[in-house]
Amino acid sequence: MEKVNYDVVVIGAGLAGLMASHEIASAGYSVAVISKVFPTRSHSSAAEGGIAAYIDGNSDPNDNPDYMAYDTIKGGDYLVDQDAAELLAYKSGEIVRILESWGTLFNRQPDGRIAVRYFGGQTYPRTRFVGDKTGMALLHTVYERTSGLEKVDFYFEWFAWELVRDESRVRGVVAFDMRNMIPVFFKAKAIVIASGGMGMLYKHTTNSYINTGDGYAMALRAGVALKDPEFVQFHPTALYPSDILISEAARGEGGILRNNKGERFMARYAPKKLDLAPRDIASRAILTEVKEGRGFPGGYVGLDLTHLGEEYIKERLALAYEAAKAFAGIDATKEMIPVRPAQHYYMGGIDVNIEGRNPDIIGLFAAGEAACVSVHGANRLGSNSLLETLVFGRETGRAVVEFLKSYTEPSSDIDKESEKAEQLAYDVVKRESGVHFGEVVNKLREVMWEDVGVFRNEDGMKNAISEILKLREMAKDTYVLDKSKVYNTEFYNALEMKNMLDLALVIASTALNRKESRGAHYRLDYPKRDDENWLKHTIAYLRGNTVEITYKPVKITKWKPEERVY
Amino acid sequence: MSLQNEEVEVIIKVKRFSPEKGNWWQEYKLRVDRFTQFTEALRRIKTEQDPTLAYRASCHMTVCGSCGMKINGEPRLACKTLVLDMVKKYESNVITIEPMDYFKPIKDLIVDLDDFYQRMYKVKPRLYPSEQVLKGEAEHRLKPEDQRMLWKFAQCIWCGLCVSSCPSVRNDPEFLGPAAHAKGFRFLADPRDTITEEREKILLDSAWRCTYCYMCYNVCPRDVEPVTAIKKTRAYTKIAKVKTPVIETGEKHTEAVFNSIFESGKIEEAKVYLSTYGLIGSLRDMIFLLKSGKLNYALIKEKPVENITEVRKILRGE
Ligand SMILES: Cc1cc2nc3c(=O)[nH]c(=O)nc-3n(C[C@H](O)[C@H](O)[C@H](O)COP(=O)(O)OP(=O)(O)OC[C@H]3O[C@@H](n4cnc5c(N)ncnc54)[C@H](O)[C@@H]3O)c2cc1C
Ligand code: SF4
Ligand code: SF4
Ligand code: FES
Repeated sequence: MEKVNYDVVVIGAGLAGLMASHEIASAGYSVAVISKVFPTRSHSSAAEGGIAAYIDGNSDPNDNPDYMAYDTIKGGDYLVDQDAAELLAYKSGEIVRILESWGTLFNRQPDGRIAVRYFGGQTYPRTRFVGDKTGMALLHTVYERTSGLEKVDFYFEWFAWELVRDESRVRGVVAFDMRNMIPVFFKAKAIVIASGGMGMLYKHTTNSYINTGDGYAMALRAGVALKDPEFVQFHPTALYPSDILISEAARGEGGILRNNKGERFMARYAPKKLDLAPRDIASRAILTEVKEGRGFPGGYVGLDLTHLGEEYIKERLALAYEAAKAFAGIDATKEMIPVRPAQHYYMGGIDVNIEGRNPDIIGLFAAGEAACVSVHGANRLGSNSLLETLVFGRETGRAVVEFLKSYTEPSSDIDKESEKAEQLAYDVVKRESGVHFGEVVNKLREVMWEDVGVFRNEDGMKNAISEILKLREMAKDTYVLDKSKVYNTEFYNALEMKNMLDLALVIASTALNRKESRGAHYRLDYPKRDDENWLKHTIAYLRGNTVEITYKPVKITKWKPEERVY
Repeated sequence: MSLQNEEVEVIIKVKRFSPEKGNWWQEYKLRVDRFTQFTEALRRIKTEQDPTLAYRASCHMTVCGSCGMKINGEPRLACKTLVLDMVKKYESNVITIEPMDYFKPIKDLIVDLDDFYQRMYKVKPRLYPSEQVLKGEAEHRLKPEDQRMLWKFAQCIWCGLCVSSCPSVRNDPEFLGPAAHAKGFRFLADPRDTITEEREKILLDSAWRCTYCYMCYNVCPRDVEPVTAIKKTRAYTKIAKVKTPVIETGEKHTEAVFNSIFESGKIEEAKVYLSTYGLIGSLRDMIFLLKSGKLNYALIKEKPVENITEVRKILRGE
């Protein structure tokens, strides 16, 4: 197998990966950035609403970073490591300043300073934004900046497949050039996994098609733990059937959820807050309506804005109006918008500390949605995720630089291990007949949605685990019909399927294990939060078909857990 | 209030390609409803009917720029196009999908975008702020109206549709192309940038190589209006220090068009030509036009339009 050498390989060219690369390359080390897609096509571009930041001299005079940390901790239902939340809050202003200096066109106040608005869960307004395309604007800026650095080589439309390690260290990664299917061993002193989320595990998701959770699975197979993998966030109002996010603003500005009888059904689930009830409650209500036959054929309900009048809708809810028009052909001034809940964000991830360092293998780091720094806990607040990718992308980059300063080359030879990784990829697909990846993936997404989704209970999750195990058996018979050596997307989809199955087993098993409801993890059979037994992080390893679970304490600095009421 | 939604069967014909097999057309039948985007149709074909079909798609919401292709011959983003909208527009249940024009096909709907990326890199697509700002010793301020103007051109998602349909890109190797010009102008006009002179060197000559055909304006899924960026870039030549022959010709052309409209209210092709290219150049081209039978048109003497005084007022900016 061909081999290339770098100081560091970064897997992922979203905001987190690019920010880490920038930091490392600026310190003079060589970096290879591997991405399945051209950098600006990463999922970070999809973020709309904004990035939270407390900016000294440009925030509410009563606000301070401690309030911001507190909001984050409370929003995360106290499963947040409080040192991480403080770091996030205290560095937020600096990060936004840096992005501005690199050219991001943040919306402005009349005096030329960066504008700000409210987002759910914030005591004071902190969200900075670029129209309704904040993620795209930030991603382009960081890519523009990073692509100007000499020490960074981009390998885009390359598929990272398997980590290569020895007894204690990570030594590189095997990746395929998607254009010609040639595998290459990227030998490196350190690896940063910044491969983003995993929405494609669920039948309904607002995520990009490429979010198949490869990084989590890669880590699991290398013997690395995921932290809090049971925590998956769902958003109540995704557009049917494309699952494009319809912002919460639509309900905030007076939108009403209605079933097929035209009833305002939220009155049954949240008699006081009605349509303004939190995300999880609204999601459960919608699904209950659909389950009990009061949804529309296809499984959705209506988000009714028509009573607000054309002028108001076009002015205050331009985004929802346009999305409905462009992606569902609906005129929201005349018709209801078809919506249903969808997977939206993954709080769990590769276990790392606030430096992005993984404790299981020396030289392995992770950042962004792929990592679990425990800054979102059981439930992420809106506009905190973009911030996390940049703050912790940079922190991780810095930690890698420190790590490299004292690095000594191990003497053991590693090339044999890399050959094994290559073989494993071909094993996934070498058969001449059997099942297509599509059958397995569609079934898996269905099972995860039904049994490890918005509602969870013991029977459902046990069923899910046995189904996933069956699918893992079935996947052994996967074969690839396309024999072409050029841009064989079917081959990569089959590898993604393998990754999705590994991760799904861990999510279902840890969700079954956590016998309480907290944040986004809602169990019908244990509907209450249980701090006495469950105020702790799940740490999960995958060994063959078994998921091994241990725990880690939650770091508490200033704020004692209290009930989460809004 | 209800949501009417019926399923319709459509036939999607995909122009496929692989280096091993060459080109062929393949038909897929599937049922779609009024909400189905082409990205979703393609995903269903791939997971339910034919796993070998290759295409690019990521965000499914018009922000990543992955899914440019030709649908019934129109350059479009697959995620921004609903299947039944095309059925209605063309009054046919049969729809064709092909890869974008101009770029080299790699596999099925996937084309080689390296040419596109190289064009973008040529315009130095990044802000070069002052050292003080980079070090955090100074802060940028930006007027809200400047932010709005720049953001329009910064919204390019690198999808390549405009380049795939631009005639000048094909005919003139020196032309940077529409997307690169939008990007280039976005930094040229950014008051926070410090390398204006270098940007002018990169952009000005090329800006005069656009034919103003407005294809880029029509196909851009994000309303970036590259041609508007090009127009605004041309305005910089008035103050630019270095002028290439193309710029000089272009400026003369603009002036000739202005004079022609000022005098007669119309564009008098022959006169404009003469003032732009001089007598020798015009004669050479006229011979070509004679041969191709287009000169009759050019030689017609134009009478001023009726309300020419109004026209002149507008031109003087009154
Ligand atoms: C619709 C939507 C709206 C959102 N809005 C907001 C918002 O307003 N504010 C906010 O804070 N957050 C928001 N989020 C969340 C936020 O966008 C993401 O969490 C964040 O962008 C993740 O960034 P990342 O850098 O970790 O990963 P990504 O941007 O997802 O990048 C992952 C990278 O990894 C690469 N990769 C993955 N697997 C492989 C592999 N096997 N081989 C090679 N490369 C690989 C990909 O190519 C990509 O480059 C939103 C999310 C969604 C879905
Ligand atoms: S207007 Fe200019 S840039 Fe746009 S497509 Fe026509 S020639 Fe190309
Ligand atoms: S200018 Fe428009 S059409 Fe051209 S690449 Fe950018 S987004 Fe696409
Ligand atoms: S899939 Fe992203 S633009 Fe179409």
